[in-house]
Amino acid sequence: MLILSRKTSESIVIDGRIHVKIVRVEGEVVKIGIEAPADVPVHRHEVYEEIQRNNQQALVRPAVPLPKLITPKNKPTAAPVLKGIKS
Amino acid sequence: MGLLGFEKLKDYLLIANPAEEPFGWLKAKGDTSIAFLVLNPFLIVPDYRPDIPEADVQFLGLNSVDDAMLLNIVTVHKGGQATMNLKGPIVINRNTGVGKQVVIANGADYSVQHPMLVSEGAA
Repeated sequence: MLILSRKTSESIVIDGRIHVKIVRVEGEVVKIGIEAPADVPVHRHEVYEEIQRNNQQALVRPAVPLPKLITPKNKPTAAPVLKGIKS
Repeated sequence: MGLLGFEKLKDYLLIANPAEEPFGWLKAKGDTSIAFLVLNPFLIVPDYRPDIPEADVQFLGLNSVDDAMLLNIVTVHKGGQATMNLKGPIVINRNTGVGKQVVIANGADYSVQHPMLVSEGAA
């Protein structure tokens, strides 16, 4: 692993297009700013691990019987919240 | 289109078989071994309120809530129990077909394995 020392407000550049900046250090918490192109997904590692593990587990083997659903009686009313867009 | 852990696969087919409704299938183009069972999450959790981060809204080109179709991955466990991933919904722009698995901003409120009510003995 490459290890670099940086001070607050200093940054590093990866591949000429991904900028990682140390925004603030508060005790044990480091605030990091990341600027990356839209096609480069950035995730917290533990969340990424959890979801990709679930994806692996969800991979369907052939001929799996579909679960018989019991859906709630009330009709769906909710919608996603799109950040930056008024619903 | 991309799923976490399957970044190399970008093209998927969404297959809806009337006999299997309301379930659908997300199948990787060119790799028949990759298929995910998906379902409209609001059928399971009517008050589901996932916060889609602005970067994802922009990447998907969503201009209104109506543009977004949500499909969440269902895991069928041994013994027939089923769970749904509410933390990482697949969000698809209905107009363009562009989609991605989004890590929602309020993911701490939701489980990757939300239990689904299923009746004994699978269909």
